[in-house]
Amino acid sequence: MQDYSVIVENVTFGYSEDTPILKNVSLKIPVGKTIAIMGGSGCGKTTLLKLISGQIKPSSGSVIVLNQEITKQSNKQILELRKRIGMLFQFGALFTDMSVYENVAFCLKEHTDLSESMIKKIVAMKLNAVGLFGTEQLMPQELSGGMSRRVALARSMALDPELMMYDEPFTGLDPISLNVSAMLIQKLNKALKQTSILVTHDIESSFKIVDYIYFMADGKIIAEGSPIDVQNTDNPMVRQFIEGKVNGPYSFEYKTNLDYNAYLGIL
Amino acid sequence: MQKLIKFLASLGNPFVSVILHLGGIFNLFLEIISSLAYPFKKPALIVKEIYFSGVRSLVIIAISGWFVGMVLGLQGYNTLQRFGSVSMIGSLVALSLLRELGPVLTAILFASRAGSGITAEIGLMKATEQLDAMSVMAVSPIKRIIAPKFIGGIISVPILACLFNSAGIFGGYFVSVVLLKLDNGTFWSQISDSVSLHEDVINGIIKSFIFGIAVTLIAVYQGFIAKPTADGVSSATTRTVVSSALVVLALDFILTALMF
Repeated sequence: MQDYSVIVENVTFGYSEDTPILKNVSLKIPVGKTIAIMGGSGCGKTTLLKLISGQIKPSSGSVIVLNQEITKQSNKQILELRKRIGMLFQFGALFTDMSVYENVAFCLKEHTDLSESMIKKIVAMKLNAVGLFGTEQLMPQELSGGMSRRVALARSMALDPELMMYDEPFTGLDPISLNVSAMLIQKLNKALKQTSILVTHDIESSFKIVDYIYFMADGKIIAEGSPIDVQNTDNPMVRQFIEGKVNGPYSFEYKTNLDYNAYLGIL
Repeated sequence: MQKLIKFLASLGNPFVSVILHLGGIFNLFLEIISSLAYPFKKPALIVKEIYFSGVRSLVIIAISGWFVGMVLGLQGYNTLQRFGSVSMIGSLVALSLLRELGPVLTAILFASRAGSGITAEIGLMKATEQLDAMSVMAVSPIKRIIAPKFIGGIISVPILACLFNSAGIFGGYFVSVVLLKLDNGTFWSQISDSVSLHEDVINGIIKSFIFGIAVTLIAVYQGFIAKPTADGVSSATTRTVVSSALVVLALDFILTALMF
């Protein structure tokens, strides 16, 4: 039997009953694999990450993370579980009142009894892994967007998590930083044998580094497969997404009951 | 008919929202109380908050106190002169400050100087996902961010109020003794005769302690529930100052009725 880091089964979730954000979503993520969750904006990708990290609980269905059923855990147990999960936020979410050193050392100081000199060494190693050794004393405001994303990556790796989640790690990066980040994610992943989940729009970079892709639309998984499968699929929605076509099953126009011509008085 | 029902139903909205907010504040208060042990294990966090909200308010508090004391001295002098009891001016200044003006004005100034800053900081941390990031790292933001700010606030306010009172009494001294040539000895002996440690000084400190709890609680609560947008944070900051002022004045009435 294969081991899974995350098993999501028939999960439905919505902030109110009439407008479910996720509808009957199921997915399985084997240990040590890197998977991508793709789809247009507002399809429920980030909500899925929040479910996996236990920030929200599903309306129905089950979420099993690192062999623990999230819905049946007390808050305390979920906190314990989160120490084994790392998460990279879209814009890094560094603590702006702390230096780079304090940011990366945050989890180590909160959750371990390591001595200050030990923490110093670990922080230096983590920063070195993302190519930012020597930035310890800088404040987040002094970093560029790409750099703060890498500091945040070092911070989320501090406790060597078994599961890493990346919320749109490539958004707003220049092409070089983007490739650097993609390479880093892949490198860290292999080195630490982590399971990784990437939520992303970026097709090229993620096709290079992921093992498996889930495509979401409208709160449902509409396609899945290896990058090659997905590239050769004939699912019209996935094709439109990959090729970035304007016309197709995805509509960029807001759905409304108003008739445009009648609204303008043109008959 | 439909409209009428809607109108009648909407009448209750303000009350419902007030009750919801009260419930929310009380909930947050309980959560803060249950996580109070954490910041005491890391006193550096509390010291930092006392520096940001307390130490940095010292100047505005001292200057305001000084001017309030001078105004009290002037007004008191003019009024008391008509009754030929100018010698009472020391006790007038000291009692008004210690019992009422000190605690109330300090709390209101603290809300606008430090409370607004606390709200904006928490609101912006929320908007930039820092609070989410913290809870994903298995650290409760209530323990790490909110509880130290709360403790810092309730330690700072009473001390600031004492400073306000002292600066005010010296302001009154400056006007009545230095400018209006009242006898120095009369001024101070009036104060030492009329002010009682328990009745006036301690009660005033208790008052400002309670105001400190109220103002800091409002500030952290507003930051915590702020909408994570520029607009949301700005209106949360405004609400902190406005509702702190109202709550302090209302509490002051209740406390005065109970104490004196």
